[in-house]
Amino acid sequence: MRGAASLAGSAMFVAPLLALLAIWAIVVPLFEVNPRVFPSIGAVGGAALDSIRDGTLIAHIGASLLRVGLGTLIGIATAVPLGVAMGVSPTVAAFLTPLFRFFSVLAGIAWIPIATLWFGYGFGAIVFVIFNAVFFVVTYNTLLGVQTIPHTLRNAAWSLGAGRWAMLTEVLLPGALPNIVTGIRTGLGFAWRGLIAAEMIATNVGLGYMLFVARDFYRTEVIVFGMIVIGVLWLLIDRLILVRIERATIERWGMVRRA
Amino acid sequence: MKTLSLRNLGKTYFDPYAGAHVTAVHDVSLDVQQGEFVSVVGPSGCGKTTILNMIAGFIPHSKGEILLDGTPVNGPGPERGVVFQSFALFPWKTVLDNVGFGPKMRGVPKAERDRIARDYLALAGLSHAANRYPNELSGGMQQRVGVVRALANEPAVLLMDEPFAAVDAQTRMTLQEELTRIWQDRKPTVLFITHDVGEAVFLANRVVVLSKGRILDEVAVDLPRPRVWDQLVDDDEFKRLSAQVLQMVRAA
Amino acid sequence: MNLLLQMWGGYARMTRRWPALAAVIPFIPVVALWTIVAEAGLFPRAFFPGPADVVRSFVTLTYKGILPDYLQDSLIRLFVGASVGMALGVPLGILIGTSRWAHRICWPVLLFFQAIGDIAWLPILLIWFGFGLTTMTFVIVYTVLFPVVLNTVLGVESVPRDLGRAALCLGASRARVLWEVTLPGALPNIITGLRNGLGYGWRALIAVEMIVGTSGIGFMMFDARRAGSTVEIVLGMIILGLLWYVVDAWILAPLERATGERWGLVTS
Ligand SMILES: Nc1ncnc2c1ncn2[C@@H]1O[C@H](COP(=O)(O)OP(=O)(O)OP(=O)(O)O)[C@@H](O)[C@H]1O
Ligand SMILES: [Mg+2]
Repeated sequence: MRGAASLAGSAMFVAPLLALLAIWAIVVPLFEVNPRVFPSIGAVGGAALDSIRDGTLIAHIGASLLRVGLGTLIGIATAVPLGVAMGVSPTVAAFLTPLFRFFSVLAGIAWIPIATLWFGYGFGAIVFVIFNAVFFVVTYNTLLGVQTIPHTLRNAAWSLGAGRWAMLTEVLLPGALPNIVTGIRTGLGFAWRGLIAAEMIATNVGLGYMLFVARDFYRTEVIVFGMIVIGVLWLLIDRLILVRIERATIERWGMVRRA
Repeated sequence: MKTLSLRNLGKTYFDPYAGAHVTAVHDVSLDVQQGEFVSVVGPSGCGKTTILNMIAGFIPHSKGEILLDGTPVNGPGPERGVVFQSFALFPWKTVLDNVGFGPKMRGVPKAERDRIARDYLALAGLSHAANRYPNELSGGMQQRVGVVRALANEPAVLLMDEPFAAVDAQTRMTLQEELTRIWQDRKPTVLFITHDVGEAVFLANRVVVLSKGRILDEVAVDLPRPRVWDQLVDDDEFKRLSAQVLQMVRAA
Repeated sequence: MNLLLQMWGGYARMTRRWPALAAVIPFIPVVALWTIVAEAGLFPRAFFPGPADVVRSFVTLTYKGILPDYLQDSLIRLFVGASVGMALGVPLGILIGTSRWAHRICWPVLLFFQAIGDIAWLPILLIWFGFGLTTMTFVIVYTVLFPVVLNTVLGVESVPRDLGRAALCLGASRARVLWEVTLPGALPNIITGLRNGLGYGWRALIAVEMIVGTSGIGFMMFDARRAGSTVEIVLGMIILGLLWYVVDAWILAPLERATGERWGLVTS
């Protein structure tokens, strides 16, 4: 019963997308749309097969995911401890919040020019941009989160005999987690866009590059295929990783859920 | 003569999760005369809210008829005012604008509807709170606004679904006394739903006992008005009626 | 330690009286540190300009009129894009939030197109519309649209059902309920959506100006990159940061709080 219901739900979800595909399949041949303006489904399928067969798709996806993964990991690994540690003292946290807010406002794309100047075009600059997008947004959100922890909770931990370290790991980190998760989701959103933009500007492999080069040759079928790949990848990252983290932590604890 | 009459009213829900039909209201016939105050009591799940929602027009009925002054009702309308358990005040409107909402919908000009709203706020002793937002009021004050907002629209019937269930015991008693006072003053037709036997007897001219989607019995209440708790708690007739209704509800 | 405490006490008192100071003072040590590192010559000047260089470049560019022009271009693009995005997004969000059928049909499509992301549209937009204003506006509208739609839907769905019923039984028509109940009820979420949307839209604008642009702050920075002029890049970054900081912290965030708090609604 449950299984059938969820199957029906999935069908409901997929139906509009299939309808869209059908419209595409009908409209392009019907109006004889110029392939330089919009490709047919067949052409996109062909481009997909080609890029899979000659291994370029895997190379592009691999390069993009490696950059995002590495930048994000470094970003989170530095931002969370830093944010929580600064939160040990509420005064320090309050003092530093505007600073991190300023930098989180800049995070990502705005660093592309200077990153490419410092690191040259290529891997280093792009990972730096990603790291940057994640680092400042997550630190800022962690700081905010630490400040929203009720004082009574800190006092309760104190009176139960928590030392500074226990305070960090048992109260501040879990207390700030809703904000940290939000920060990661936002930061990764900026990072993903930053990645595509940076790859269009500053490299010769990756999904953004794949799209941008195809433009030079009016290969719309490659562009559309690349857009679909980018969309599907982000949906996977968001639904399979980010939403799950959110479910497992903040929703489970009955803390606020954000849009 | 504005009378509300329910003729063989029934409601069957379809529960999509269980994949089954649930009959919440089987067969209810009831007449409420103009200016009458009728309380409906019954155990939880006996279909009280369902009946009220059908009269209000929030949900369609599956069988029977709902007539207001001889004309069938469908969909919500201003001739049936509703007081909600959840208050349902518009948080973005001041108290004055909340009470003036009904007249505004009728196209009453601003100055006139402010006068109406102030008039009704005075009735509830809330003149001082006219320019506050609902969020800035206590629960008891919010429900006073809810009651006068419905009254200010001068509906033919006032429908109330456990309106005082969400306030504390002391406030509830005050609100009940106020409601009887307002009723005496304006004589609206009221259908009042509650699971609190004391409340039902205290307020009404007539108490209807509901059980599993059917009317079990009804009891006329001829207690003198104005009714105040200080006197009624020790009143033998009040005690007798309450005990009688309570017995019916427990047997239900 | 004691001195530090006293200084902190003074700072706390001062910022309580003039809250704007709390947003300024923390930057003083940062700028000082920046000056020291730059003056010490740890990095070559061309790579790592000091504050004085940036201020000088700011004065020169302002004097020449380049900076004000570029700034104006960027702001107008952002404003037009955001307005169009709101004008499309709010009605669409209300439709999806109130109609079950619209929700069923549009929701999956929305999620998918949101996932594609604004910047990935750039190559095909360049083919369709060329290097120009249409392309830029499209990207910004696209970026602003999704957060606005998704948050509006969330807002509409979070309006308690009894509020709509209350309006109906006070004599409001369906259209009136939309205007008197649904829209104000969803407003805090709509503003959140606008805030998120502008956050993304503004980044998209920078990217588009870098890739497509012939003017604008993004273009200025990328042009400076080609010329190897770090000063102008840093200047651009600071301007972008300040600008958004002002818009977000002094306009959008207070607006969001003002609607939500006075009404006692929960804002996300
Ligand atoms: N939307 C619905 N779908 C299916 N069944 C429903 C629905 N609403 C109510 N019911 C069922 O109808 C019956 C009557 O519900 P109703 O809410 O009218 O009871 P009630 O008398 O108001 O109870 P309470 O005193 O707890 O408020 C219950 O068994 C309930 O489970
Ligand atoms: Mg009920």
